[in-house]
Amino acid sequence: MSENDQQKTNDVSRRQFLNYTLMGVGGFLVAGTITPMLRFAIDPVLKVDEETDMVAIGDISKYGPEPTREDFQFPVKDGWAEYELPQTAWISVFENDKGEREVLALSPICKHLGCTVQWDTHEDYPEHFYCPCHDGLYTKDGINVPGTPPTAPLDVYQYKVDDKGTLYLGKAVPREEL
Amino acid sequence: MAGHDDHKDVKYVGDSRIRAQRTPNYPKDYSEYPGKTEPFWPNFLLKEWMVGAVVLIGFLILTVSHEPPLQVIADPTDTNYSPIPDWYFLFLYEVLKYTYASGPYTVIGTVIIPGLAVGALLLAPWLDPGPERRWYKRPIASGLMFMTIISLFILTYQAAEGHNWEQEERYAHDSPAQNVEIDTSEEGYQIYAAQSCIACHGDQLQGAVGPPIFDAGAKYDADGVRDLIENGIGEMPPGQFEGSEEELDILVEWLVSLGTDAAPSGDASDEEGSADGNGEGD
Amino acid sequence: MLQKLYDWVDERLDITPMWRDIADHEVPEHVNPAHHFSAFVYCFGGLTFFIVVIQFLSGMFLTMYYVPDIVNAHASVMYLQNEVAFGAIVRGMHHWGASVVIVLMFLHTLRVFFTGAYKKPRELNWVVGVLLFLVILGLGFTGYLLPWDMKAYFATSVGVEIAASIPVIGGLAEDLLTGGTILGAETLTRFFAIHVFFLPAALMALLAAHFIMIRRQGISGPL
Repeated sequence: MSENDQQKTNDVSRRQFLNYTLMGVGGFLVAGTITPMLRFAIDPVLKVDEETDMVAIGDISKYGPEPTREDFQFPVKDGWAEYELPQTAWISVFENDKGEREVLALSPICKHLGCTVQWDTHEDYPEHFYCPCHDGLYTKDGINVPGTPPTAPLDVYQYKVDDKGTLYLGKAVPREEL
Repeated sequence: MAGHDDHKDVKYVGDSRIRAQRTPNYPKDYSEYPGKTEPFWPNFLLKEWMVGAVVLIGFLILTVSHEPPLQVIADPTDTNYSPIPDWYFLFLYEVLKYTYASGPYTVIGTVIIPGLAVGALLLAPWLDPGPERRWYKRPIASGLMFMTIISLFILTYQAAEGHNWEQEERYAHDSPAQNVEIDTSEEGYQIYAAQSCIACHGDQLQGAVGPPIFDAGAKYDADGVRDLIENGIGEMPPGQFEGSEEELDILVEWLVSLGTDAAPSGDASDEEGSADGNGEGD
Repeated sequence: MLQKLYDWVDERLDITPMWRDIADHEVPEHVNPAHHFSAFVYCFGGLTFFIVVIQFLSGMFLTMYYVPDIVNAHASVMYLQNEVAFGAIVRGMHHWGASVVIVLMFLHTLRVFFTGAYKKPRELNWVVGVLLFLVILGLGFTGYLLPWDMKAYFATSVGVEIAASIPVIGGLAEDLLTGGTILGAETLTRFFAIHVFFLPAALMALLAAHFIMIRRQGISGPL
């Protein structure tokens, strides 16, 4: 009787051992199969953003302190596809407090829900960027007016000006990142 | 174990058809089976999975060490390409080359032979209905199967041997032969085109009947090239060149110059945009 | 904790018999390589299934990047193979796996044939097995076109011509395969649909039938 019992406990532990080994081997099979595929699938998340080129917009002398609308084509590399994405910037050039020339190229995408803002179009809000969707307002330098839906200033295009005075625009980035 | 009077008062879970009174999940008593049997789970499955693990390791080594082939994008107008199916259809491809399976008899090779083979395979249990299972006790069935296997191997081997495998490499998407750009205004090229070279080596020297020679300069020096042109090599007969001695000089000089600077012109010219000086940086 | 969860589900759905049906049965001595080394030939079926599972998985992941369109197909394959991490490996698993499946399936078929395992009462399972063989060959044929490279295009044109040479229905078969008069854009989408939806569905149904029949009938006895 007791011998029988002993054998039974031995059987159980052997079965358990086999079960654990089975899980181990099964785990190896699953991991060996699926690991490359998972890494393959999440690659877009782990890919480092490529440095984007800047596009020449035009001579900087065209622009004054008043925001001017400029449409341009931005080249995009999207996987295997390469194409041009139409972009719009509101560009103003002015002198800052220190007397240096400063360029402000604002993205027209409203920070509330992504509608497109226009400069100085609404009769009640002159000299403001106005978003028709939910009456969002931004001042001339792109700062959101408190009390209107947007909670952040308009995005700003990265820019550079070369020796000949040509203005180049890059990606639009949020203000805080500048 | 379960109540023997189940049929009298069976209780169910809620209003489902699942019995409320459940039998405990004891493993079966295996002593009633003869021989050295063992449970599928976990004993036998463990063995199977260990075999699977070995196969997986081999398979992963294969995938890591052999990049899957990819050729250049399909060009339906390229008449130089000789098509080849995947290896497991090669036997069928080879059958279609035989006289009585091609031309007016194509239907024999494309329908009748494969149809008979698949039909016989599908109906094997009824074509070979005897109770005997050992292969050597049913010589007709086994003999037919052996003959089929042998002919599959022979046909596949013949098809593989008859194919020009060099072509596969020449059309690989990263093959240098696809990226050659030959300046056709060169005097050497004019001679190359006027003589018979172009017929076998292609208008871009990418090779056709003959091998690609766009990188001849990397493999041979001037004397070597001259020797090849005059005396031939392999299937290329000697004395193909019929121009003057000066023309031969120009041709040799041009061919030798190719491997050194002209060949890598295909890639390495990716424009590196200058992305510095972002105005304000980020 | 896990046991409690199991009991909770079991009380409602009575899953224990299903589980015992799948896992809790005897394996006879003559198929066990531990007792007779030559019994490794009984592994080919299971290994074929294992590689088929790999084919399903790798194929699912490949469609994350692949587009079945004659303009982009080749570029997308080139992109996923060269630019995406592990792309060459995942595509390699699918590409080489296709060959490995056919080799293993061939060996499995030979094992069943030479051990006479297709005889009464297992005739139906043999028929399902032959159908599986054809479905897998079909998957190989349709998958070959998808990268839209030279080899794909010309191998498929040969295959389509073979279909066209069938008497009476040849022309119809050709049009159905190419989806038009030329081997082109519509052929690619067609082959994609067949390769990714129709044949895998048939494969799964036939595999289910194959396995259910094995469980019903058990492994054929020793010779």
